[in-house]
Amino acid sequence: MSYADFRLTDLEETLPAPFQRFVWFVFEWIPLLIAAGFWEFASGTFVPSAILPPPSEVAYVTWELLATGDVISHLQISLYRVGVGLALSISIGVLLGVGMARSDPVEDFFEVFLALIYPIPKAALVPLAILWLGVGTETAILIVFLACLLPIVLNSYNAAQNVDQNLIWSAQMMGMPSWKIPLKVVIPATIPSILTGIRQAIPIAFIALVSAELIASNEGVGFEILRYSEVGAYTQMFAVLVIISAAAFFAVRGYEWLERKVVRWT
Amino acid sequence: MVEGHVTISNLEKVYESGDERTKAIDDLSLEVPSGEFLSVVGPSGCGKSTLLYLVAGFLEESTGTIAVDEQPIEGPGTDRGVVFQDYALFPWRTVMGNVTYGLEQDGVPKEQRRATAQEFIDMMDLDGFEDKYPKELSGGMKQRVALARTLAYDPKILLMDEPFGALDQPLRELLQDHLLEIWRDVEKTVMFITHDVEEAVYLSERVMIMTRHPGTKKTTIEIDVDRTQDREDIIMSDAYTETKNQVWQSLREETQPEAQL
Amino acid sequence: MDVSNKLAVDRSDAINVGKSIYSLVIVLVLWEIVTQLGMVHYYFLPPLSDIIVRFYEMTLDGTLVHHGYLTVRRALVGLVIACVFGILVGVLSARNRVASWFWDPIIEVGYPVPVIALVPVFLFWFGTGDLAKIILVAIGCFWPVAINVRNATRDVDENLIWSARMMGTSDRQLLRKVIVPASAPGIISGIQIALPISLIITFVFEMVAGGGGLGHIEIQGVRSFDSVQVYATLIAIMILGFILDRALRLIRFRILSWT
Repeated sequence: MSYADFRLTDLEETLPAPFQRFVWFVFEWIPLLIAAGFWEFASGTFVPSAILPPPSEVAYVTWELLATGDVISHLQISLYRVGVGLALSISIGVLLGVGMARSDPVEDFFEVFLALIYPIPKAALVPLAILWLGVGTETAILIVFLACLLPIVLNSYNAAQNVDQNLIWSAQMMGMPSWKIPLKVVIPATIPSILTGIRQAIPIAFIALVSAELIASNEGVGFEILRYSEVGAYTQMFAVLVIISAAAFFAVRGYEWLERKVVRWT
Repeated sequence: MVEGHVTISNLEKVYESGDERTKAIDDLSLEVPSGEFLSVVGPSGCGKSTLLYLVAGFLEESTGTIAVDEQPIEGPGTDRGVVFQDYALFPWRTVMGNVTYGLEQDGVPKEQRRATAQEFIDMMDLDGFEDKYPKELSGGMKQRVALARTLAYDPKILLMDEPFGALDQPLRELLQDHLLEIWRDVEKTVMFITHDVEEAVYLSERVMIMTRHPGTKKTTIEIDVDRTQDREDIIMSDAYTETKNQVWQSLREETQPEAQL
Repeated sequence: MDVSNKLAVDRSDAINVGKSIYSLVIVLVLWEIVTQLGMVHYYFLPPLSDIIVRFYEMTLDGTLVHHGYLTVRRALVGLVIACVFGILVGVLSARNRVASWFWDPIIEVGYPVPVIALVPVFLFWFGTGDLAKIILVAIGCFWPVAINVRNATRDVDENLIWSARMMGTSDRQLLRKVIVPASAPGIISGIQIALPISLIITFVFEMVAGGGGLGHIEIQGVRSFDSVQVYATLIAIMILGFILDRALRLIRFRILSWT
């Protein structure tokens, strides 16, 4: 890291090893404490605490909401929507991407639709989804699916199109029948890019989820945020925001961890 | 002309990363008289590039001193010009923009710096390419632009880090001859890093051979070849062949230490 | 060489679209037939012709233009503010150790926050007007810009910096003459990522809070069971998104003609 020589060398040498890492960890995260401290100070002085609740209170309420389980059912619903939407976009997106890259008729058929969907910010499709599916889970899933589809299609399309020709030739040379090649060569060679596409899609999925739930839902964390703010319970609202942010953060981190575990060869 | 004299004394460079300390250069002393063409050869990983970057002032020595004309160096300076193996041209500037850069920094008026740059662009046979961006040029052309860029702001010392390493043989030979011609004209001190023994012997007046890691000066060999001749005559001459074998032998001792034992 | 290549690409693009547009035509014709025959409920899927007529009317009477202008103004002003701060913070935290120490963890934590969830509270803090929308867009777009600028600036090829240094570039000049141009591709990528985010935040805000804009009239269509208006507005949104995306690409192409 660029601030490696920022190290407090003396301190490092005098402290036992586990302590060093702890001190370093604390040192690295001090800025967040500063930011939180400023917020804590501002709330109640510059800004009334009813408008901007202090982080200590938000933290307490976050814990309370989790402990009493009030938010858990909504979180479950939201995670289910994200999960199903993502799973749909991955399975369809990969098929579409690889199919378009390896077959001209498939590409000719779908390309124009993707080109039309591409410039639309997917949140603008929520009203349309309400027309078709009403308010609720299906709408949220559809929006998550549409929002995540393009990054996955594009990544797998590009990768499948650029599969090293030598790989395909050597598979043919070793007697692999041509119908097996997409499954046995193209998709495995495309996997690293597909995984990148999925990683890009996860934060997008959460944005899409919250958009859909704010506009068209009676449950889920997005709806909870809206509900709490409508009754003026801003501390609770911030607490739910913390929870959904943490969910998004750990979804990406967990995914990256899984990716490293599963795909060792990249 | 008594400028561009490099004095390196008891130079040592240690890289530190975490708990690991790697000694790249160990107690190296060297004089490069002004106007000399010195090549540096050594086994890969012996720290020849590190040495060059130390002289350039990009890296900081751990102990020892590097002086130019008796003045210890402090960071990079316009008295020393580096030619990188990967050219390091500014991709957002045209050929002209790259070659004028150093003059621009020096505060030379626009008309004049264009005229000076044009001179070096012509010298490198790059006329007609002034308005091209680096991405539009081939490797050999990029290296000529890099050379023109460095020559244009007139440093006393040229530091060249395997500048022709990425080029194919015919192009290499062409640029080597070009470099020799220029060196004769401009009277600059040259430190030329290479792993190619033939290149070193063909180009330089003296070759320094470095030991294996950690690198230090093993020996220097004077090359006494009549360079007024053509390439063919030089490489056929006994002096060239003998020196080449001598350098090669010396280098071989470093790359195959087991054979020595 | 490059010019002829570009032409070739353009031509093959044109051929591709021409060849592949048949699927769109089939779907549009099917759409019209199925809806005209009354096989689908009018509310779900009105005939394409009705939608086009409405789109034409709404354009002619200035509705779409007016609301489109509101949306674009909010999104772009917010985006510009985000770019100013994002580039500043990104460059600073890539080049300065203290700034990097301060900003890195904040960016790390701030980036994954779905800023869009702040719509309700911004509504409460700043009301339904432009200010609330612009500030939220700026906050939402700040993170992708900052993170991309920081990474691009941090990864500038060291040889470029060195060669500028040896030609007598001072620390202050280094930023303007080398670091900013060298990281320009990354900076523009960050802005390209932020553009759809700015539109998403604007639309969602308009849908939740009103105050005019394309998002507002789109959701109005749903609430008044006027699905033709929803579709017509969506066409406008699609055109708007397309124009903005193309404009940014054009700017990128202009500025980065050297890549």
